[in-house]
Amino acid sequence: MRYRIKLDIFEGPFDLLLFLIRKNEVDIYDIPIADITEQFLEYIEALQILDLNVAGDFIEMVAILMHIKARMLLPKSPLESDDEHEDPRTELVERLLEYKRFKEVSFELQTLESERRKYFPRRDFKFITFPENISTEEYLEKVTLFDLMIAFKRALESMPKVTYHEVRRIDVTVEQQTEFLLEQLRQKQMILFQDLMKQFKEKILLIVTFIALLELVRKGEVVVRQSGVFDDIRIKLKDAA
Amino acid sequence: MEDKTIQIIEALIFASDSPLPVNKIKEILEGIGAREIRAAVNKLNQRYDELPSALKIVEVAGGFQMVTRPDYADYLARLYKSRQTHRLTHKALETLAIIAYKQPITKQEMEHIRGVNVDGVVRTLIERNLITVVGREKAPGNPLLYGTTKEFLEYFGLKSLDDLPKLKEIDELLKGDEKFLESLDQVVLEQMAPEELGIANAEINQDENKSESDAKENDQDESS
Repeated sequence: MRYRIKLDIFEGPFDLLLFLIRKNEVDIYDIPIADITEQFLEYIEALQILDLNVAGDFIEMVAILMHIKARMLLPKSPLESDDEHEDPRTELVERLLEYKRFKEVSFELQTLESERRKYFPRRDFKFITFPENISTEEYLEKVTLFDLMIAFKRALESMPKVTYHEVRRIDVTVEQQTEFLLEQLRQKQMILFQDLMKQFKEKILLIVTFIALLELVRKGEVVVRQSGVFDDIRIKLKDAA
Repeated sequence: MEDKTIQIIEALIFASDSPLPVNKIKEILEGIGAREIRAAVNKLNQRYDELPSALKIVEVAGGFQMVTRPDYADYLARLYKSRQTHRLTHKALETLAIIAYKQPITKQEMEHIRGVNVDGVVRTLIERNLITVVGREKAPGNPLLYGTTKEFLEYFGLKSLDDLPKLKEIDELLKGDEKFLESLDQVVLEQMAPEELGIANAEINQDENKSESDAKENDQDESS
């Protein structure tokens, strides 16, 4: 018999872990990692998680459990005293408890939600017409950064769409630019990268020249030097260097 | 205090479209103090009690708001049938709790606590105006920081963030019989395959039929 199981009964891997700890009636500070890991795997197998995003979260937890298991198998260093030796499980336990703390308070929030839903304030104030002379400050009182971001996004989206794209022939080749570079270097001994790029008005020309430069460096025909981060780059012919 | 002043305050709270802060009342009624305003609100509530009235004034989200009493909730729910917002899911409540107590907080920190991706939930909470972007963290990538809104306080009937329920201490967390684990046990027994998972017990036979029909339902859902 096959069962289809809804994964959403567990909000995430921590829920499943807490459930397993409870089911096994073990002390949260002394989790039998090997057993729990095995059961955890059984569960996610049975849960048949199809959503990769969700599965990823659970698999990450398996990795954490395996890592802890491996660390627990390692012998304790003889130099470490008992006090110094940190239980590999500590971090996980702390995260579990932290999660549990918010999980529990979320139930209290749910109670508050139910309570408040019994009170109805007045709604719909459409009959109030806003005066024309409302100050910008007052008008923007409730506006958050996020509202502005959304407004900006909408403005961008409602911009007239450019439906054509111009394709131009690229009449420059890497070979041409390689020649050009070598010629320049023969004349000047050394060129600065900035100076080199400054003379190109078109982006494509700049790109092709850059590729040509990389090609020359790869072939070992030129050398490039830089004195510090963000400093200008000096380009020289190999034999001149 | 003059009756007139109390009536003005009543009118202001009645006509306000959002919880009316004490400062706003002070601005309108020059020379009045916060204590007097509170006294007026108490007086009004006392009058509503005596009448009796279906209304009362509550303090929420840093202001005063006139609301109907819980006794009439059922009728109003019928009035607002199609316009009532859905209750928040557990996923949303959990994430919202983390944001409320830890704000300002990045998505990454929320995910570290919940152990799951929070993109979808955060979007829903923003759409419902319960949280908002409050800034950016001064860290690599400058991730967005989230915090709760005034509407969050109103939604849960809180006066301010100080009004949030206290978080439990560790020893309290360790106590047995937690509400949510129990509810989880219940769901697990109902929805999962107990014998497959090694938590089989005497109730299986009863549960089996139910699980089977559930499975069938799901099959239909998928094919349709």
